[in-house]
Amino acid sequence: MAGTVVKGRFPKARLVRVVAGNVARLLFGGAARNWARNAAGTAPALCSMALVLLMSGLIGLTAFALRNMEAEQAAQASILHVYLRDDAKPADVSDLRQRLQLDPRVASIGYTSKDQALARAQSLPGLPELAGSTDSNPFPASLDVQVKSIGDMAAIDAIARVDITADPQQPTSYDRGAYQRLQAVLFGIALAGAAFIALLGFVAVTVTMNSVKAAIHSRRDEISIMQLVGAPRWMVRGPFVIEGAITGGLAGAIAGLTTFGLTGAAIAAGAGGFAQFAPGVTISVAGVAAAAVIAAGLLLGSGSSLLTLRRHMES
Amino acid sequence: MRPLAPPRPSRADTRPIVELRSVTHAYGSRKAVDDVEFALHPGELTFLVGPSGAGKTTLLRLINRELRPTRGEVFVNGLEAHTVKPKRVAEVRRQVGVVFQDYKLLPRLTARENVAFGLQVADLRVSDEEARDRALDALEAVGLGDRAHSFPIELSGGQQQRVAIARAVVAQPPVLIADEPTGNLDQDNAWEIMDLFEDIAAWGTAVLVATHNIEIVTRLQRRILTLVNGRLVRDQPAGQTGRMAWLALS
Repeated sequence: MAGTVVKGRFPKARLVRVVAGNVARLLFGGAARNWARNAAGTAPALCSMALVLLMSGLIGLTAFALRNMEAEQAAQASILHVYLRDDAKPADVSDLRQRLQLDPRVASIGYTSKDQALARAQSLPGLPELAGSTDSNPFPASLDVQVKSIGDMAAIDAIARVDITADPQQPTSYDRGAYQRLQAVLFGIALAGAAFIALLGFVAVTVTMNSVKAAIHSRRDEISIMQLVGAPRWMVRGPFVIEGAITGGLAGAIAGLTTFGLTGAAIAAGAGGFAQFAPGVTISVAGVAAAAVIAAGLLLGSGSSLLTLRRHMES
Repeated sequence: MRPLAPPRPSRADTRPIVELRSVTHAYGSRKAVDDVEFALHPGELTFLVGPSGAGKTTLLRLINRELRPTRGEVFVNGLEAHTVKPKRVAEVRRQVGVVFQDYKLLPRLTARENVAFGLQVADLRVSDEEARDRALDALEAVGLGDRAHSFPIELSGGQQQRVAIARAVVAQPPVLIADEPTGNLDQDNAWEIMDLFEDIAAWGTAVLVATHNIEIVTRLQRRILTLVNGRLVRDQPAGQTGRMAWLALS
C-alpha cells in the first residue's frame, strides 16, 4: 500500500459540504436513480395510490360540503317559521309577535312577507318553476322565530300553532326529528366514506409494500454490502423511504391536480347551482384539498416503505 | 522479490482485538456454535477450518454482528458485539472488513467505485477526491491499479476477489474476516490471495480466514482453529501446524 492514510484536519465548512454532498448523492441521488430504474415495477403501486388519493380528495371535498350543509341545517333547525293565514289581522300578528318576544326561550323574531317568501323560494333549486306555475303567490307570510335552544322548539311550536293567526293547513315549519334524521343520514354517509377510504388505503399500502419488498429483494446485494461495510441504518433504509415518498408524491400530485381540475370544472359548469349542492366548496378550498392530497401521498408512500423496511430488512 | 515486511507484533504484548468468551449460537434446538472461546490479536493471520456445517460461517457472522450469540460474549476492538443495539451495529461492522467467496461486488460500479462506495457509505465525511485516492491506493496495493476502471464482469475471479479485499481493507479496519475466499479460485490465484492476507496481517490487522484449502493452511504454518460440530476442538499456534505438528502435541 502507498503508506498509511493521514487524516488531516479540515475546516468545518468543508466537512459540512462533503457530508451534505455525500448525503445528497448517496441518499437522494441513489433513491432517484433506483426509482427511475424500477419505474415499471413501481407503476402498479403508483396507480393504486393515485386512485386512492383521488377518491380521498373527492370524498374529502364531499365531506366538507356535507359538514357545511349540516351547519346550515343546524342553523335552520333553530328557526321556527310560523306561517300566517293570508287573512290574518295585523293586530293579531303583532300580538302573537309580542307574546313570543316576551318568552325567555326566544332569541329573536323576524318577519317575512309573502313577497319576500316568494323571492326566497325563487332562489332555491327546483322551486322557481313551482313559484311561476300559478298567477297568485302560494307562499305565506311568516314570523321567523329564532329559539335559543333546539330543545325548546317543541314548546314554542305548541304556543304558535294554536294561535288564530297561524295557517290552519301548515301552521309552522316544525318537524320533530327532521334534524336528527339529517344527522343520522350524514353520519351514515361519513361512515361509509371512511370505510371505503380505509379499504382503498389498505389496498394501496399493500401494493406499495409489495413493490418496496420487490425493490429490497432486487437490491439485496447492495444492501448487504452497505450493511457489512458499516453503513448506518438510516443510510441503508433512507433511499427506500425516499423512493416511497417519490412514488407517493407523484401519485399525490396526479390525484391532487385531478381533484383540483374536476372541482374547478364543476364550479365553472354549475355556477350558482354548485354552491347549493356543495356549500363552501370554492376554488381555494379545492386548492387546499389538492395540497392535502399531495401531502397525504408523500406520507402514504414513505410510511408504507418504512413499514416494509421494518418487516423485511434485517439489521 | 517481495518487499520487507514490517515487524510483526508478538501476541504477548498486544491486547486481543477480537475475543469470544463461551459463545454459543443455536438455530432453534441445533447448536451451530457451541461454547467457543478464543481471541485474535493484531497482526495475527488465523485459519478457521472444519468440515462443512461445522459452524465456521456462523462464527464469522457472530464476529461481524450479523448474528447475536445465544449465550456468551463477543468483543470486537473493545465493543461489546453481543449486547450492542441494532442502531449501533454499524459501529461494530466498521471494525471488521469482510471478504466473501462470491466477492459480492456491485456489477454496475467499476472496481474503483466499488471500493470507494464501501468507504463512503460507512463514513460520510470522506470526500469524493479522498475516496477516489484511497480506493486507487487500495487497488494498487492488491495489484490492480491498472484495472481501476474495469467493471467486475471484465475481471477474472482472482481479480474480483482482490477488488473485494481492497474494499474490505480500504477503511483500515483492525479485523479482517474472510469466508472461503479461495473457494472459487484456482490454486495460483488462491496463493496470491493468501499472500495478500499475509501482507495485510503484517501491517497489524487481525485476519481470520475460514477455508477448506488444506494445502495452503498446512504450508503457511499459521495459527489454526478447528471447528467440529460447532465446538472448537483444536487451537494450534503458528509454526506448529504442519505434518509434524504431532511432535508439539506429544
